[in-house]
Amino acid sequence: MHLTSNDITIFIFSISVMLFCARLFGEVFRKLHQPVVIGEIIAGIFLGPSFFGLLFPELYSSIFNSSPIVEITLQGIVELAIVMLMLVTGLEVDLSIVFSQGKKASLISFFSIAFPMLIGFGFSYLFPQFFGDISEEKKLFFALFIGTALSVTALPVVVRMLMDLNIFKTEIGTIIITAAMFTDIFGWIFFSFILGSIGSSNSQHSIQNQIVTILIFILVLLFIGRKVFNSIIKFLERFTISIGGVISFIFIIGFLGAAFTQYIGLHAILGAFLVGIALGDSVHIKEETREIVQQFATNIFAPLFFVSIGLRLNFIQNFDLKIILILLALSIFGKVLGSLFGSYLSGIKTNDSFIIGFGMNAYGAMQIVLSLVAKQVGLINDRIFVSLVVLAITTSILSAPVMSFFIKRAKRKLNFIDLLNKDLIFFSDAKTKNEIIEELCKKVSSKTKLNYNLVLENVMERENQMSTGLANHLAVPHAKLKINSIVIAVAINKDGIDFDSLDGRKTHVIILLLTPIDQPEAQLKLLSDIAKFFNSPDIAQKLISVSSKEEVIVSLEQISKNKFA
Amino acid sequence: MIFKRLALAISFSPNSKNLLLEAIRLKKLFGAKLFLIHIGEDSIENKNKMSQLISECSLSDEDYELNWRKGDVEDLIMDFCTEKQIDLLIAGALIKENVFKYYIGSVARKLMREAPCSVLLLTKGKDINKSFKKICVSVDFSQLSENAVKIAYEFAKLEESENLTLVREFQLPGLSSTIYEEENKEDLQKQKHDLLDEEKEKMKIFIKELNLNDVNVNYECLYGKQGWEASNWVAENHFDLFVISTPQRRPKLIDRIFQHDFEFVFKELPSSLLIVKTELQ
Repeated sequence: MHLTSNDITIFIFSISVMLFCARLFGEVFRKLHQPVVIGEIIAGIFLGPSFFGLLFPELYSSIFNSSPIVEITLQGIVELAIVMLMLVTGLEVDLSIVFSQGKKASLISFFSIAFPMLIGFGFSYLFPQFFGDISEEKKLFFALFIGTALSVTALPVVVRMLMDLNIFKTEIGTIIITAAMFTDIFGWIFFSFILGSIGSSNSQHSIQNQIVTILIFILVLLFIGRKVFNSIIKFLERFTISIGGVISFIFIIGFLGAAFTQYIGLHAILGAFLVGIALGDSVHIKEETREIVQQFATNIFAPLFFVSIGLRLNFIQNFDLKIILILLALSIFGKVLGSLFGSYLSGIKTNDSFIIGFGMNAYGAMQIVLSLVAKQVGLINDRIFVSLVVLAITTSILSAPVMSFFIKRAKRKLNFIDLLNKDLIFFSDAKTKNEIIEELCKKVSSKTKLNYNLVLENVMERENQMSTGLANHLAVPHAKLKINSIVIAVAINKDGIDFDSLDGRKTHVIILLLTPIDQPEAQLKLLSDIAKFFNSPDIAQKLISVSSKEEVIVSLEQISKNKFA
Repeated sequence: MIFKRLALAISFSPNSKNLLLEAIRLKKLFGAKLFLIHIGEDSIENKNKMSQLISECSLSDEDYELNWRKGDVEDLIMDFCTEKQIDLLIAGALIKENVFKYYIGSVARKLMREAPCSVLLLTKGKDINKSFKKICVSVDFSQLSENAVKIAYEFAKLEESENLTLVREFQLPGLSSTIYEEENKEDLQKQKHDLLDEEKEKMKIFIKELNLNDVNVNYECLYGKQGWEASNWVAENHFDLFVISTPQRRPKLIDRIFQHDFEFVFKELPSSLLIVKTELQ
């Protein structure tokens, strides 16, 4: 049996059609500020029996079902694509971050896994009838799978969201990333045990043998493989001319790991993912190398995988709103409740807990790959698979806006304009620096629960070290206090005050900045932003020309829009 | 006075004389009191060795307090530091331990991780009786690192160092995975550059806020793995002293297996190392 000339033509043509549609839909979704992956999955649904195959069955068959050998070849390419996708996903999991996590991130990581897993497992074990016809012998593994599927998080989607929402470098951002990495490692290892247990019932290996083999594989990779890979990569970086040597090594070892886990009765992707983690820990892999590997795997191979999901499956026939809603409810309930509980124990505030909970509730490609493997081994049927794909898409789209809502409520954005409060803006006739600082502290004290003397003492202590008068008619007296959130008060002084400013000009705009003592970066970031914002004397001049605090806010927002448009 | 009570652990190794000379120099520099401790038998042979060492270094009796203890080396040194309220413990250290010692922990490595006070580890490359001319301090903007910068600054002033460099490492984990979602590679590069600029701005303000005017202060922002990047950078740029703050939680064996942050520094010292221990307010 071999590929005929016609088979090769159709095979290559079908690949190009898949890539074209993936790119087209991906770009549309990118323009809509949605994950590209979702566009690619929808491209597959469009090309498959749900739409294109339904309208043009003959044309669909001649491209994608022309002969069994072409189908098998395509399947092989898709398998390779998943292995590559998981390898690069593993590469991005940073073990040093996972192991350096503090108590807060550890608690949140633990409960972000434990709650969805328990809730997913408990519900599907007790009420399997909601998911259709689940046989008694499959019930336990099915319930374990649902629990696992609801506990993973898609790192690329999470990273993207944190970047877009401008909270990547905050404490919350770090906690979310750490917890997402932790859930991925734990989720996949746990899933490998489920697969091992299922595999043992279909093969001559006993369940104990399977689990011991998996454990040895993981331990060897993490304790020995990691160190060996690091030394080899160091050698390759030093003695090979280009980064090609390292890239080849990454794929060779990744494929070997994948082949091994497939051989021992698990799925190839598990080996790829675990090898990816072990390789990614190397301090000698350059950032450029990581990016090239990512681009290679995600621009060519990953789209083929995502398109293939919808290509052979009728999403419309298998669409089951009831299962989708149940899974969505379980996921939100599990992830958000888990994060809330972990956050509560860590002393994190409620709004921040919701940010973390919804941040962790983006399943993306991780859940899709997990579900595909479960479908391949017969754990779930097409209906549940489709529901999980829809859940992955929905959560990836919904998480960012929900997080954004709580970020605004929690005043987590480190943006000067977003932190302004109308009640803390006023016009002053103060004549001296001390007078205006006292007025600002009084204003803050009257509108918040902060003690006037404490605020004044800290602000003056800083002021006495060195004047906070900057250039362009601006002064930013500031202090770090034991407070929960950032406080900004603005005073406009039309006559101007002598504030020992850098350019010797009179100060018209005085911004009091109070930041939590445990967020030292917040003070630096805001001081830098405010100084950049007032980079011309015209801005302060404009503010003294307005007559109400509402107008002050409108003017500042307008200036901000013009500056950062 | 940044350090008032110095202690030196003497082991009669070939490097002991150099270490004692350096401790005497620092004692004079800080105007501090010097405590010497030897863990071992106070036998006649050892007492003779100690006397010879002290006389070779021209140390008069009123300049030091000598202590002998018997038992577990690291624990006794640490107990001694607590008992005598030592604020800087001086010890010699190899740049790199062998693999076994690294994981099990040599005396110097244990002191780095667990000492109750600040620790100065002098590597063999340190020129005795010469001041630290190039000092680098790691900054993460936390209160502990702010304290470390203040001490490094005072130290650099006393030493009349050529420069004090503040180094800041930062990384956005998982960033490469978003390359797929970007319009092009340039977007990702731009984001990194923007972040770098933001870090530089913060660093400038950080330096300004600390009012570090009496020493030539530079700064450097590095993108990469925390601990690893700075350590390499310090070694490549031949600094005499690298200053870090004590890790917030006591490192365990697992931290050595899955290295992170300062464990990269401890594994292979990039230069002499000052670990500053201060209390949070």
